[in-house]
Amino acid sequence: MSAPTTTDHVWRRVHPVTPFVRGWTVLAAIVVIGGQQVLQDIPDGAELAGAIDGLWWKVLLGLAVVAAVAFGYAALAWRMTAYAVDDDVVHLRKGVVFRQQRHARLDRLQAVDIRQPLLARLFGLAELTLEVAGGSGSGVAIGFLKEADAHLLRADLLARAAGLKAERAADGSTTAAADGAPAVVVRAPYGEPGASGHLESAADTRPVSPSEPAAPVAPEQPVYEVPPGRLIVSLLRSVGVWLVVLLLVGVGVVVAVTRNASILVSALPAILGGAGYLFQRFAGEFGFRGAVSPDGIRLRHGLLETRAQTIPPGRVQAVSLSQGPFWRGPDWWRVKVNVAGYVSDGKENQNILLPVGPRDEALTALWLVLPDLGVEEPRELLDEALWGDARTDRWFTTSPRRARWLDPLSWRHNGVAVTDRALLIRTGRWVKTLVVVPHERTQSIGLGQGPWERRLHLADFSLHSTAGPVRPVVYHLDAGDAARLLGEQSVRARSARAHATPERWMERVAEVVPQVVETPR
Amino acid sequence: MTSTPAEMPPQSPGPFDPPGVTWRGVSPRLVPARLIPAAITLGVPLIAGVVLALLVSPWFWILAGVPAAILLWVVAVVPRQVRAIGYAERDDDLLIRKGVMFRSLVVVPYGRMQYVDVEAGPLDRKLDIAKLQLHTASASTDAVIPGLVPDEAERLRDRLTVRGKARLAGL
Repeated sequence: MSAPTTTDHVWRRVHPVTPFVRGWTVLAAIVVIGGQQVLQDIPDGAELAGAIDGLWWKVLLGLAVVAAVAFGYAALAWRMTAYAVDDDVVHLRKGVVFRQQRHARLDRLQAVDIRQPLLARLFGLAELTLEVAGGSGSGVAIGFLKEADAHLLRADLLARAAGLKAERAADGSTTAAADGAPAVVVRAPYGEPGASGHLESAADTRPVSPSEPAAPVAPEQPVYEVPPGRLIVSLLRSVGVWLVVLLLVGVGVVVAVTRNASILVSALPAILGGAGYLFQRFAGEFGFRGAVSPDGIRLRHGLLETRAQTIPPGRVQAVSLSQGPFWRGPDWWRVKVNVAGYVSDGKENQNILLPVGPRDEALTALWLVLPDLGVEEPRELLDEALWGDARTDRWFTTSPRRARWLDPLSWRHNGVAVTDRALLIRTGRWVKTLVVVPHERTQSIGLGQGPWERRLHLADFSLHSTAGPVRPVVYHLDAGDAARLLGEQSVRARSARAHATPERWMERVAEVVPQVVETPR
Repeated sequence: MTSTPAEMPPQSPGPFDPPGVTWRGVSPRLVPARLIPAAITLGVPLIAGVVLALLVSPWFWILAGVPAAILLWVVAVVPRQVRAIGYAERDDDLLIRKGVMFRSLVVVPYGRMQYVDVEAGPLDRKLDIAKLQLHTASASTDAVIPGLVPDEAERLRDRLTVRGKARLAGL
């Protein structure tokens, strides 16, 4: 990219192999759908076999026509696709019949993902997606680029979103403002008092040629990794697997009793659906690795389609840690986040911060989002949040005793705790859940009360957060507690918003980069 | 609670009556705006049921009876619901209260508002009311004030926009 002026956009094309890759997915989809249609006529297979002799070349010809149309359209779409990167905005032009031009503001950046479907991986290509919190489908997807180009582009976008203005000096060397992210000192994860973990980033010493974007890839420090064995065992210990097994056993019994194999065929879609869900979950979470960097949280996962997510600081709206009943033995937790722009539309694995991990790793994942809980004894607070109940609570305010009429199982566990930095909500006894919402990420607050709750002087308190799997709601609190919480939370959220990190998270630091690099240990 | 904010409001009589808040109601013309569509939707099976019951078979009184019961319930409840809708503008946020049996109270900070909609369908325009809806980044924010006089709706919308811009606080 040459040095851009304010009005001059350098439009770049995506990789020329893109139409081939995209065309193949369309072709594969058509073949699968066609095959399904054919297979549904299995009883007519006999006469089909007889007619197949003359049909072969017709089928091939049909496939060839479809392939030509698919690849042709994809090539045309490739010609119409271009992207450009500004200081503040990313532009994307695409569309064959309906032309579309999308501008995404970089300071509204919520997350940057690099996605590599299987076929693209074979060619060394990747797709870059920017989420800007406009709801589903509002992200900008630039695909496909060469892998190295995609990583450089991501670093460039994150640097611009962070407020580091990359200046390209005339002699081709980079200036100090863009040269290596400043050293970031972070406190250790909860449970290691006194130890101080440091995340340093040595200035990137790779020579940067004038034609490359000047922002170096920010270094990262790996934090946790999920071994495949643990993932498999966790799936085996989940309710979904046992439902599929039960279904299989039930179908087997019915077939054996009635000696009618057609039941197997009609149950096949359900079985395949269940097995497909499990495989999708396994393939999506395989090789999960989490790391922290000045860019934010970095996640990498995937078996067939790999995904590398970067969530910049301050973009996580809410975190939840949950534990089903079968995970109680090994004390495993699942950590999910709400990020504006990640809409869970079947690709649930975007919202997962840690698919399965022991308690320490789950707390480390929480630390990635919220390094400072705002209490002097974070470990005790979190122990109480994960395992405590009303009898031993120090920080949590739980449902009063009269809530047992409405919620006999978990009234002792439903509770809320407020610290200087965040609100913690603990719910559930069968499926334990802890939800943490930083005060500055509160959107709006709600209070609800049904007729039975009014009789018992109880109320529900909920924090509204962006769309996602985490719902910060606590039911059946004492009405006075809930009212007081409502008043206090409005005040707290307002003052937290006033002191929140700016959206361009490096902006305050960028002016003092030369000094910060010298930060002592 | 561990931390105390700068000033703590005194204890309130009930969770839906925060102290120091003056609630404003909405126009009573919202009642016909809600009853007319309900009457039409329920009236059709009711009349059809009555006609068929008289002409064909007494069993059709059930077809007439169920919508009649629902209609009676709606006529009894809607005026109370409309009287229970209230809103209040505080310094930094907007409170909206609604509901008779299932009460709810929503607090929307001005700095979190993304955009404000004012809507009026044909029936609303006939009855001279409008509906104002606040949107935040959260899809579950249910901040709707129906039944506002159009002047008041516009005034409120402009004030909210000005205050929202003044206290704008990202996402």
